[in-house]
Amino acid sequence: MPYLGSEDVVKELKKALCNPHIQADRLRYRNVIQRVIRYMTQGLDMSGVFMEMVKASATVDIVQKKLVYLYMCTYAPLKPDLALLAINTLCKDCSDPNPMVRGLALRSMCSLRMPGVQEYIQQPILNGLRDKASYVRRVAVLGCAKMHNLHGDSEVDGALVNELYSLLRDQDPIVVVNCLRSLEEILKQEGGVVINKPIAHHLLNRMSKLDQWGQAEVLNFLLRYQPRSEEELFDILNLLDSFLKSSSPGVVMGATKLFLILAKMFPHVQTDVLVRVKGPLLAACSSESRELCFVALCHVRQILHSLPGHFSSHYKKFFCSYSEPHYIKLQKVEVLCELVNDENVQQVLEELRGYCTDVSADFAQAAIFAIGAEKREQRGDKKSLGDCCQVSPTKILHCRCAATKRVPHIWLPCGIARTYTDQCVQILTELLGLRQEHITTVVVQTFRDLVWLCPQCTEAVCQALPGCEENIQDSEGKQALIWLLGVHGERIPNAPYVLEDFVENVKSETFPAVKMELLTALLRLFLSRPAECQDMLGRLLYYCIEEEKDMAVRDRGLFYYRLLLVGIDEVKRILCSPKSDPTLGLLEDPAERPVNSWASDFNTLVPVYGKAHWATISKCQGAERCDPELPKTSSFAASGPLIPEENKERVQELPDSGALMLVPNRQLTADYFEKTWLSLKVAHQQVLPWRGEFHPDTLQMALQVVNIQTIAMSRAGSRPWKAYLSAQDDTGCLFLTELLLEPGNSEMQISVKQNEARTETLNSFISVLETVIGTIEEIKS
Amino acid sequence: MIGGLFIYNHKGEVLISRVYRDDIGRNAVDAFRVNVIHARQQVRSPVTNIARTSFFHVKRSNIWLAAVTKQNVNAAMVFEFLYKMCDVMAAYFGKISEENIKNNFVLIYELLDEILDFGYPQNSETGALKTFITQQGIKSQTKEEQSQITSQVTGQIGWRREGIKYRRNELFLDVLESVNLLMSPQGQVLSAHVSGRVVMKSYLSGMPECKFGMNDKIVIEKQGKGTADETSKRCLSGKQSIAIDDCTFHQCVRLSKFDSERSISFIPPDGEFELMRYRTTKDIILPFRVIPLVREVGRTKLEVKVVIKSNFKPSLLAQKIEVRIPTPLNTSGVQVICMKGKAKYKASENAIVWKIKRMAGMKESQISAEIELLPTNDKKKWARPPISMNFEVPFAPSGLKVRYLKVFEPKLNYSDHDVIKWVRYIGRSGIYETRC
Repeated sequence: MPYLGSEDVVKELKKALCNPHIQADRLRYRNVIQRVIRYMTQGLDMSGVFMEMVKASATVDIVQKKLVYLYMCTYAPLKPDLALLAINTLCKDCSDPNPMVRGLALRSMCSLRMPGVQEYIQQPILNGLRDKASYVRRVAVLGCAKMHNLHGDSEVDGALVNELYSLLRDQDPIVVVNCLRSLEEILKQEGGVVINKPIAHHLLNRMSKLDQWGQAEVLNFLLRYQPRSEEELFDILNLLDSFLKSSSPGVVMGATKLFLILAKMFPHVQTDVLVRVKGPLLAACSSESRELCFVALCHVRQILHSLPGHFSSHYKKFFCSYSEPHYIKLQKVEVLCELVNDENVQQVLEELRGYCTDVSADFAQAAIFAIGAEKREQRGDKKSLGDCCQVSPTKILHCRCAATKRVPHIWLPCGIARTYTDQCVQILTELLGLRQEHITTVVVQTFRDLVWLCPQCTEAVCQALPGCEENIQDSEGKQALIWLLGVHGERIPNAPYVLEDFVENVKSETFPAVKMELLTALLRLFLSRPAECQDMLGRLLYYCIEEEKDMAVRDRGLFYYRLLLVGIDEVKRILCSPKSDPTLGLLEDPAERPVNSWASDFNTLVPVYGKAHWATISKCQGAERCDPELPKTSSFAASGPLIPEENKERVQELPDSGALMLVPNRQLTADYFEKTWLSLKVAHQQVLPWRGEFHPDTLQMALQVVNIQTIAMSRAGSRPWKAYLSAQDDTGCLFLTELLLEPGNSEMQISVKQNEARTETLNSFISVLETVIGTIEEIKS
Repeated sequence: MIGGLFIYNHKGEVLISRVYRDDIGRNAVDAFRVNVIHARQQVRSPVTNIARTSFFHVKRSNIWLAAVTKQNVNAAMVFEFLYKMCDVMAAYFGKISEENIKNNFVLIYELLDEILDFGYPQNSETGALKTFITQQGIKSQTKEEQSQITSQVTGQIGWRREGIKYRRNELFLDVLESVNLLMSPQGQVLSAHVSGRVVMKSYLSGMPECKFGMNDKIVIEKQGKGTADETSKRCLSGKQSIAIDDCTFHQCVRLSKFDSERSISFIPPDGEFELMRYRTTKDIILPFRVIPLVREVGRTKLEVKVVIKSNFKPSLLAQKIEVRIPTPLNTSGVQVICMKGKAKYKASENAIVWKIKRMAGMKESQISAEIELLPTNDKKKWARPPISMNFEVPFAPSGLKVRYLKVFEPKLNYSDHDVIKWVRYIGRSGIYETRC
């Protein structure tokens, strides 16, 4: 933080601040203080003049006071002893006749982040809560939350909480909202502020008096209120109706969310609400405020997941304009491909075609992918690999799975292209005619995915392919082309010659992935057109085995070589066995998701980041995650590959259900584990039912999902079977576990050791473990 | 909840930094600079996540404003807050530019102190804030002003304080519209909408009750049915009414009355505020029509002819007209002939910019250009970006008309007739593009 030369600056400023002439001249004095703040903003360490600044706080000049307080709030943690000197002035200001000075002093005093300040601020806060000026009350109410934050894990002051609850009836709307915020922070451990019937109704009645920030906040708090009867529910909805048409998009979205959540048992009400906010949302989507427009588009996409036809008649609203920023265009393209129907498909495709030749290569590529494919968020590489493993080990080599692609998303043809394949292929083919590199490569990649999932278009794709090899330079595009030539080579007359070019140039090829693809493709083509390929296959294998430096390519070459030695029938059996099945879970077209599955995510950051990205963010955030009121059932999407959907949620919910928070990637060494294991006593022992065989890898992966690491494990099928696991929670407490399967016994014995004796965390750890093992057991049976 | 607020210049230097919550460290300031401002590629999203911290940014000219939080907040609300912040700053010192921010940096810190406390938005009405901000320094407050603070913040109406007095009661109404158009080369409207705002500046004494009326279709049909007084009917017969797609109002408007009677009544804040915001998509008067003609003559020459037609009353004048005709990247030279205004080829912007100061309605003007191209072996076809236009016209392209604005103040002795009222219509171009 400190920049070079900051000592000189500090020295000079110190001198100026001490100069009695400057002190006497208010304007000059203030200018020096301003300079201090300016340097502070730039990141220079200004804590050196703390003493002088404290002195400057004793003044009648309010501007000077404000500046000094700002300074003190920044550096108080560094100079706690000196900051105490300022407390006196602050306390005096707290009883100033001017409410503005009182408020300012109280706010600054509460913002001093240093130990020991609590005892000084308690009384002023209590006085502030009863101040006759609402300005001071507002500050005091939030001061309570600040004070609680300073204490850290201290006890909740019951009297203070009661006082805050009573202030919910304050005349001033901002005091009311601040009370809610403050209570929420103070009562965080207990699940936040309680919204019972009288409070809910009181808030509902005050709604119209609040400003937009207050309204949004209250709508959020009302989410946790459960109306007793259907009648009350509809009364509330009627009261809040006007907020669906508020001038603030934030309030509109907040109200929409509240409606969706409250009416979760009434799907027709939910649909009705979504119809009614269509107008405001569309208005936000075409508003001049770019950023709001972006947020609105993200939410439109969210709604489209459940109601695909919802915006179809307004598709023109989502046409991109040339001067819009990149991020809005990308969102619009995605919205466009989600609202295609029979009536507008022609116009939408026409529009998308226009984007494909956009100057921005990035945007053009996105548009091409959009025509041929639908973007699907990646559920993690592991998942797709896992799927492949399940089918058959050799599939790993041939299945085009996401793990080999570097793009952050899997593009799968399910959207427009699945229903309107012919039109899409035609447009894509025309694009090839432009002979531009960045377009051709993406088109070919799209073709690959299309052929895989919509085999009916194979013929058309095969006719379009010849000639595009001239315009492909990048690895992704080459891989896609080679794959297509290999799999469908018998229908493309010049396929062997194109591959031959690649074989000729294999020495100068930089990407190992392309070489791998080439090996597989050539072997496949050899099976269907042996006469043309035999010679170059020999050359390629020779090169890969004798000259190639990349191990993976070499091993692949050797593998094929040995495979060929076994006999051509065997090669055929392995290489041309049924292709990966499009109905695999990974590729399935997502069924329309019910509104309730995302209602709790609406108007949060989840639709903005995308579910998968959010999951990775929030996973690490763990304990400090906010919005405890939101049911977080589905926001944890990081996947254990083999755990079925319904169990997955259960497993992932667990780490944050109790106080237990296991830390990821806490790998212990085997030695350390052994030492600790031997030195500790068994804290808990338990037996779980267990029948038959299972795959240890599955268990290991499932445990990893909940951040339990496997230290060692016996081979599958051996008896007795043993596994040693370790985990650590955020407080540093270690859990060491032994799993034991005795031969002939249908039970699994679990022993857990803990390095700190704490029963409540132990219990939650064991329940996590039980769930995982229970889940594996269920999958087996 | 907002953990911190930073303002940067275009180089990424911090101009203002205010941290409200402990979970935002000093390094957050640098993280945003490195990852967003100095990033090579285009901005992919206005919301960026760096190390589990969300950065929401908006840009005003070349100034970046970023709000930072670690919580799962409502994105729309954060952006609205940033806009509000910009509005408030603009109300104090005009345009948001590096110079203005540097000159007013004490003021901005003062504002940040009042608008947010512990990361929660507090009072953000410019009018109400004025009492708390000691803009011009050593102003020790009088007793009267002190009591004003108390009454202002305890009063039932958050947006107006009591006891306002003016010698001359005056009000200004501005109908500001931006008309957006996307037109196909064949002259077919692909999409068009008007987003408009009614901005009111009022200098009225006491607690005046105002009633605003416009030519909204629903209201006029209602009046047509009920036999209202003949005069109002007669004066409306010639004029058209317009269909408003959706509209939203300032907090002060009584929504219940609007829903039941469609009448807009309110007690206005003192000074300037935005009374309403609306959007229309039907029967839009497109002030200009652009007719492009692009012909490729061989591989190295391009002929462009663009005709613009003004489509409004001949007595009105459009101003600040600018037509932007994009040219290919490999342009080597341009010859332009235009009948009116000035046209120039700007190589740095890859466009011919044609400016006309004034143009009356129902006129037509033309520009023709010959563009010489460098022969390239690049096979890349020119993408032909659309021709865009900027202008300002003295009417509302949506057709909205203010019918009346009545002021009642029962307690003070001034009547509706004593109030001086001014109404102004300004239609500007939003995104006004014609593809070619």
